[in-house]
Order: sequence, then C-alpha cells, then structure tokens
Amino acid sequence: MSMSESEDPHVIVTSERLQSVIEALSYASVDEFDSCLSLLERSGELKDEFSELETAFSIFVRELGEAKSELNRTLAQQESINRELEAKLETIEMQQAAIRELSTPIIEVWGGVLCLPVVGIVDSQRSAEMTETLLETIVAKQARMAIVDITGIDVMDTKTADHFIKMARAVRLLGAECIISGINPGIAQTLTHIGVDLTGIRTLRSLRDALQLHLRETEQLVVHQHSQLARKLTAES
Amino acid sequence: MPVETRVFPIRERSHAIVAASQSRRFALAAGLSARRAMEMAIVVSELASNIVKHGVRGEIRITHDPATPPDGEIVVAASDVGPPIRDLQLAMTDGYDDQGPIDPALVLRRGGLGTGLGAVARLADRLEYREEKEGKTLTARFFLR
Repeated sequence: MSMSESEDPHVIVTSERLQSVIEALSYASVDEFDSCLSLLERSGELKDEFSELETAFSIFVRELGEAKSELNRTLAQQESINRELEAKLETIEMQQAAIRELSTPIIEVWGGVLCLPVVGIVDSQRSAEMTETLLETIVAKQARMAIVDITGIDVMDTKTADHFIKMARAVRLLGAECIISGINPGIAQTLTHIGVDLTGIRTLRSLRDALQLHLRETEQLVVHQHSQLARKLTAES
Repeated sequence: MPVETRVFPIRERSHAIVAASQSRRFALAAGLSARRAMEMAIVVSELASNIVKHGVRGEIRITHDPATPPDGEIVVAASDVGPPIRDLQLAMTDGYDDQGPIDPALVLRRGGLGTGLGAVARLADRLEYREEKEGKTLTARFFLR
C-alpha cells in the first residue's frame, strides 16, 4: 500500500491483495470470469503500480471470457449441424432399405428368357406395376419365357395374389410361357383359398429348378432339331 | 411399459415405401410374428399409397400400445387432408371406390388394382374410419397375441 519514490524498484503489496489476485485467477481457471473480474476490480481500486497489473489481468480475462463464449457458440452450432447430418444419414439408410425391397429388376438370363425375382412387400400397387413392366419387357425383348420367382414372399393379400395369377395368364396371352417359382406354403394357402385356375401356368419349387427345366427343354429341342436335320440329310443322300 | 410411436409424413411414393418397410421392423420389434408383421407392412403400404393417390398429403402414425387388453396392440393411423370417403362399405369392395364400380381403364390409370382398402380390411384385425376437420383418418389395428 505504501509507495516509495522511483529509486526503490520494489512495490509493496499486502499479502491480502496478492491473495485476492490469486483467488481471482483461480476463478478464471474454472471459467468463472464474472467472479474473477469483480475481484480484480475491487482490488484495483487503489490506483498504484500494482493495480496496473490487476488492470492488465482484467483485460486479459475479459478477452479470454469472450473467446470462450465464441468457442462455445461455434461448438453448439457444430453439434446442431452434426445432429442434422445424422438425421439425414438415417433417412438415406431407411430409403436404401426401402429401395432394396421395392426394386424388382427384370433380368434377361439368356436370349428370350426373363427372370423376375420378387422381394419384399408386395401390395396391390406394386403388383400392378410389376405386371405392367413385365408385359412391356416381354414385348420389347421378344421373350419366350418369363420366370417369376417369389421365394421369400410368404404373404400377399388375396386380391393381390389373384392378380399375380392374372399376370401369369397375361404373359401367356403374349405368347410367352410363364413359370412361377418359389411358391411357399403361405402363398399356396392363399391361392387355394381364392380358388385360382392355374392351368397353363407352371409352378416349380425354386428358381434353380425353373432354369434347369428350361435348359433341359431347350436341349431337347436342339437335340430334336439336330436329329430331324440328320434324318433329312440321310434321306437325301 | 411406455407406448412407442413412429410418425411417417407421406407426400410421395418413396415416403410410402419407407413407411411400409420401417413398419415391418416396428411390428417385429413389438412382437408380431413374421407373417403378421408382413401383413401389417402390406396394410401400411396400401394406406400410404392411398394417401399419395387420393389424399394429397398426410401421415402414417404407428403406435405400439402394450396396455390394450389382452396382450397389447399396434395401431396404424393413416391421416390425410384429402376428400372424405363417402361410402366406406362400397370403397372397401374390390374394384370399387366410394362412388361405385371403377372403370378398369381408370384403375389402370391410377395405378394399383382398386383393391387397396379391401386388402386393409382383410388383413387388419379392425378398421375404423373417422372424418376430421380437414381430411380423414383410417385406423387399422393389429392385436398382439
């Protein structure tokens, strides 16, 4: 508190005042900037050399406080952006799962033979869309056969199942053969329940069976054609 | 036990597909059998498709209420802001809408088979209809056994 003239380079400060400053700094170290600043102000009321230090600390702490607030604001913004992104990622995942369920690709397994693997939820809308696409593709590719594989579909509404059979009949109207593979007990029950007429529509247990059957028949046809040709050539020679 | 709810806003086809796909998981998690969960998914799909086709926009709200006797139920509420269903019985008849038989050409144009509501009635344990101030709500219930 007492100050000597400029010859004495020392400044005298009570330990109380020193403690006050130390306490203020410890407040600052735990982010309690307001408490820190008020302590420094009280201590710095005496306008002496030491109070310059206190003032310097005050300015420093004030700026530190502001910087911290700014940082917290930015962090909060970042967190909110992250939350948004996570929500969007979740939406994308859900939509991808739905797309997998929805997609019914029509695959031309080899010339003139189409395969329609059906997966997921089959409602009336999807059934209608499938029919339209299948019939269009049969015409576009001049297909002779369509294999509709419903392995894994264990539930359909009766009217949707009914339409499914109508789809198979429509395929035949276009002059192509329709094989339905993978009918499981649940679907079989539904079909029996509605009493569908399955004449002209072949059903096989699996997609593999259907493809093998087609191969065999094609082979037989080729063999038959070869033997016919052979006979013809023999007869002519 | 808490009541769990999920809400799916429906405005376009992709929303309907997501709702159906997610509702199947919801049903399985709530304890419905695989078959029944698929049936519920079909119901959600049909209801959501109808919102897209006729309801302008709306939402599907799925709630698992374990407290409903005897073993709890899942409630599927499909609300939209579209026109009311004037004759529910008629609308539920396959090939009909609420005004009478649908011309097959119109059925084709609308997409679908004209059998959506009928499917919902067949597959759900209960179906209720309520007109709202702006629109309507169809509620389908699935009992857990």
